[in-house]
Amino acid sequence: MAKLLVVDDEANIRLLYSQELSDEGYQVVTAGSALEAVEKLEAESFDLAVIDIKLKNESGIELLQRIVKERHTIPVILCTAFSCYKDDFSAWLADGYVVKSSDMQELKDEIARVLAKRQRGAFV
Amino acid sequence: MDWECCWSRDQIEPENCPYIGEGEEDLLVSQRRRIVEKCVECPRFKNDLARMKGSGYPLSDVLPYILTEFQEQKAQMGAMLSFLNSKTREIKFLREVGLVLQTSLDLDEVLSIAMTAITAGKGFGMNRAFLLMTDKDRRHIRGYLGVGPKDYEEAWRTWEDIGRSNFTLRQLARDFQKTKLTSEKVKFHDILNQLTVPLSDQGHIFNRALTGKKPILVENALNNPDLDRGLARILGVDTFLVMPLISRNRRIGVIIADNCITHKPITLQDMQSLETFAFPVAFALERASLYERLQEEVAKQKAANVKLREQQELIVKMEKMALVGKITSSIAHSIRNPLMVIGGFARTLLKGTPDGDEKRGYLESIVRETRQLEDVLSEVLDYSKSLFPVTDFWDLNELVGKATGELEGPLEQAGVHCRLELAAELPMVRIDYKQISYCLKTITTTALSAMEPGGELRIESVLDGDGVLLRISDDGKPLTQTAQEALIAPFFQTQELGEGVGLSLCKSILERQGNSLTIISRPGGGNTYSIRLLTRKENI
Repeated sequence: MAKLLVVDDEANIRLLYSQELSDEGYQVVTAGSALEAVEKLEAESFDLAVIDIKLKNESGIELLQRIVKERHTIPVILCTAFSCYKDDFSAWLADGYVVKSSDMQELKDEIARVLAKRQRGAFV
Repeated sequence: MDWECCWSRDQIEPENCPYIGEGEEDLLVSQRRRIVEKCVECPRFKNDLARMKGSGYPLSDVLPYILTEFQEQKAQMGAMLSFLNSKTREIKFLREVGLVLQTSLDLDEVLSIAMTAITAGKGFGMNRAFLLMTDKDRRHIRGYLGVGPKDYEEAWRTWEDIGRSNFTLRQLARDFQKTKLTSEKVKFHDILNQLTVPLSDQGHIFNRALTGKKPILVENALNNPDLDRGLARILGVDTFLVMPLISRNRRIGVIIADNCITHKPITLQDMQSLETFAFPVAFALERASLYERLQEEVAKQKAANVKLREQQELIVKMEKMALVGKITSSIAHSIRNPLMVIGGFARTLLKGTPDGDEKRGYLESIVRETRQLEDVLSEVLDYSKSLFPVTDFWDLNELVGKATGELEGPLEQAGVHCRLELAAELPMVRIDYKQISYCLKTITTTALSAMEPGGELRIESVLDGDGVLLRISDDGKPLTQTAQEALIAPFFQTQELGEGVGLSLCKSILERQGNSLTIISRPGGGNTYSIRLLTRKENI
């Protein structure tokens, strides 16, 4: 079972992610801030992180850069409220990118794609 | 004694002297003037002198000497008078031409007055003249204008027309400028095209005249092995004058003048007069050319200013739009998140509600309406995004100036001097301003980290084929091969490049836009980062 870290500053969204992604068969751990996310990343190992670009007083992109810099090899999917970030070069470090929607099918597909890609890479 | 000539009489009748013509009647009553002006040349007077000698008159031996001396002096006086008249004419003519040359800034007017002066009968009266001028890059001397008749028929027709008119030289020049300047260029097009000579060909007669700063008279060119026979063949004459045009030691051009129709010899005096004339012509031509170039530069500058203003307006607009974008994104975030929670949980509830349950209808409505609101939100966001001009044509030098201005703080902190060497007149590059600005700043910051205080950072822009090259060179420690490889392998980290992924990101940004980034480290010290940006639209 793949273990996911979901980082979002809104409790309701964390709850929604947890329910929806657990229904898909993933083990979901949530974090409400970048600091909490870093602590959890250091304490446990994850297969993938889903990060909201706009965290309260923090930037999800900074968290992404920190993950890359500190050699956490886990893939990252960025979530955002609007699509402009797709063209922002600073977001290109992420493995996936999803615009937030009440229909979570896109996020689920993206998680499956990134995990499958990583798994293929592991066998090569 | 009866004298044959009338010299001894106070007054005479018209029939007494056949040499006194109409209008000279006053000589009939003035013995002194008659002797000086007529008798000394009269054969009868000479006969009288011979008879005097035979009759033993005491002064008869001395008189012939006095007479000969008188005649010689008179001839000299006549020659001097004629010389003075010719010089007076020349000064008057030079003054007239000089006035125009001194005041005119119009190249065509200067050309017209110069060429008319050389070829008109009221001027130097040469049959034909060619003007050759040094080109802008000062590598060649090229045929520019020819003036004169092409054959006998045209010559007679032109000279007859001019003879009938009572135009001054200035009027003739104006007439020439208005009616003939363009047609004369076309008429001598074939000859002018063959007169191009490189300024480096020191042996060529044009360059010899320019180096020697003296006119050269070429005679018998077709049979003289030391002279350029090719030139004589092009011109169709074997005698011509090559006059250098030099102003303040600058080689302005050359005038070739000949008498291709009348074949009248070119005298030393012709040469001297033309030499006096060549100086103001060269000066006026240089001034008019410089003025013309100045006008071109002013026009270019004006166009550049317009473009700059447009770009400044665009930057202001972009900044305003960025603000709009920020506000919109903030609203979007605060609306999209609750929408997502409402719609998301409605979907979760819907999944657990059996078919036929009346709550399904309500939940489906919530899901549908939420979806609709999310679509509206996306539309609004896409529209605000479309307000940003992403890629456009930009002046790279302007970008470099602005970006380095923003880097003043880090440069000062590092104690590094920044030298800009930006090529003028570069074509516009089609770029995403924000991204290229980011790349330049990232590369500069990376370069600064390898430099010691007191070092020099050089930023150059140069034209490179169909692109523009932006080079950032430091004089710091050269990067190792490993550090250079960091550019190729994204997220590769080295001690030298420090933290962050700046350079590899720059490479991705540039390559995504069809541009490139290369880095060269010199073993002796220093690294050069080269960004090649494309100028053609189709390459983006």
